[in-house]
Amino acid sequence: MAVLEIKNLTVALEDGTEIVRGVDLEVATGEVHAVMGPNGSGKSTLAYALMGHPGYEITDGSILLDGTDLVELGADERAQRGLFLAFQYPHAVPGVTVANFLRQSVNALRKARNGGEDDQIPVPEFRRALIEAMDSLKVPKEMMGRYLNEGFSGGEKKRVEILQMAMLRPRIAVLDETDSGLDIDALKVVAQGVRSLVGPEMGALVITHYQRILNYVSPEFVHVFVDGRIVVSGGPELADKLEAEGYEAFAPVAAGGGSP
Amino acid sequence: MANASTDTIAGKTRAGLSREEALTQYHTLELPSPSEEHWRFTDISGFDPDAYAVAEAAEVARPDSMLDLDTAGTAFAGEGGIEIVSAPDGVTFEPLQDHELLGSLVGVSDKLSAQNAALWRNGLLVRVPKGVELDKPLYARVSNSASGGALFWRLLVIAEELSRITVIEEYASDSPALAGYTNAAVELFVGAAAKLEYVSIQNLSTETWHFASHRARVDRDAELDWVAGGFGSRKGKVWIQNDLVGSGATSRVTGAYFADGSQHLDYDTFQRHDARNTTSDFAFKGALRDTARAVWRGMIRVEPDAQRTNAYQENRNLLLSKRAGADSIPGLEIMANDVRCTHGATNSPVDRDELFYCMSRGLTRGEAERLIVRGFFQDILDRIEFPPVRAAVAQALEARIPKA
Repeated sequence: MAVLEIKNLTVALEDGTEIVRGVDLEVATGEVHAVMGPNGSGKSTLAYALMGHPGYEITDGSILLDGTDLVELGADERAQRGLFLAFQYPHAVPGVTVANFLRQSVNALRKARNGGEDDQIPVPEFRRALIEAMDSLKVPKEMMGRYLNEGFSGGEKKRVEILQMAMLRPRIAVLDETDSGLDIDALKVVAQGVRSLVGPEMGALVITHYQRILNYVSPEFVHVFVDGRIVVSGGPELADKLEAEGYEAFAPVAAGGGSP
Repeated sequence: MANASTDTIAGKTRAGLSREEALTQYHTLELPSPSEEHWRFTDISGFDPDAYAVAEAAEVARPDSMLDLDTAGTAFAGEGGIEIVSAPDGVTFEPLQDHELLGSLVGVSDKLSAQNAALWRNGLLVRVPKGVELDKPLYARVSNSASGGALFWRLLVIAEELSRITVIEEYASDSPALAGYTNAAVELFVGAAAKLEYVSIQNLSTETWHFASHRARVDRDAELDWVAGGFGSRKGKVWIQNDLVGSGATSRVTGAYFADGSQHLDYDTFQRHDARNTTSDFAFKGALRDTARAVWRGMIRVEPDAQRTNAYQENRNLLLSKRAGADSIPGLEIMANDVRCTHGATNSPVDRDELFYCMSRGLTRGEAERLIVRGFFQDILDRIEFPPVRAAVAQALEARIPKA
């Protein structure tokens, strides 16, 4: 059963410019979907809009998570219901350590799922879970005491995004260009981390420009995203076709001849 | 009339005036007005010092402290007097009388300092002899408790050569809505190779006008480590000046403040390097909510003989509402050529993307803001070495961060 149902989703910038132009997509737990598109196609806008960034307005359509429409909900409530976004450009949170940030986040989710009553994770239990997750994602332990994303390399930021995903255990994880900035070894670790979390409890939507990550994360479904729309969907073979022929082959279909 | 921007306490101080002469000055001088550079952003025309009675309050109030301290000496002061509760052996910790050094750092530079010089009654003298070290802090709580009353306070600290002490001063009001006026003058002498930790935390009622001049003179190889916390008061001005007069002298001043409602805080700081190889490091951070305002003015002045000086000043404000505001005016006046001086100032709202990032992990807006504000102050808290002071400042900030 689909957990995330995106129906006719239309997203505009604050100035009214329409970026996402009617997207339909269903993601179930146990599935990895890849959305592949060229630069400027609106992929990141889709990711931000799913998570509820205030700079993007959903002008039409719906986003259902386990049957609940998220469109009117804030980012916090979407996260509390099980949505997660791994950011392309994770923001620094100066003065707040990775461990502290994650503990607060875990507790925020626990509180929301406990009917608004505090249900704090015991510190030893949290530390065990954190250390285990850091080990499996090959994130050095010293990172837990560093201020979140402050002075992190591109690769460190991406690994810590996946670390957060592992700790927060979402129903659906959206990964926005998580592969950019990663060397091949880091990419393998991150992809493996994603794959290991996908199962009966979690599905993933991997947004990417390159096929590279898909070799490791092995999506069941591939969607080609051009000019704010999904122009074709298929299986993993679609990624190979893209790799061979480029986005050009799909562009005219979507652009309707009038795209800049 | 625009003063030279460095013409702070130092430039106009006249020490050694008698009380009568100071009173004459008080009556002669006008209240500072926004036409003067240092008062450009702090308009106190709504303040009438004569409207506050120089109280004869009988009792010295003891409102709750923000600090959890084990002290070597404790004093409580108020409009009505000063009570020395305990004092350490071998160290002078007693009510301040006339003293040859009194007024030599903070004299009469304007109407309000003249009023203090003329009318102060209660003060504390701390004198630590050469080589004496105290493990525990000396503590004074200065509290206003008389509605409509004025409180004049003086602190004189003399840390002689090679001594090491911590002096903590806490300004508080006996009740949260008390309307009052406090006027303080603090003079700190840090002798050769001595170390003074000085903490001044102000949590007065938001109906209290607060004016204070704090000035330290730091001698050869001496170290001054200063923490200023500003949480209360209605409006006023706090002057902070360090004179590094001996080579190898260092001073570090760490400021944290939080204002809300219609509070207006003003820190006017002056790092004066008179000698070679001196170091000063001033960092102030504040958060402002509602229609609160903060003014921070920083001046580093390096005198011609003060080669190999290293000076730093920083002020950062986090604006938690659209109507809150801050003015940061950094300044450098360098007359030596082999120096290193850096400064930075920023005033910015909570970053929308940072907030979104935190909320995307499930934190409510309130929780996310609290986390960001706490994180904003973290490097300032890290600079505070004395754990109870760090805890008290952190807690005072925490208490002011919007609830979830």
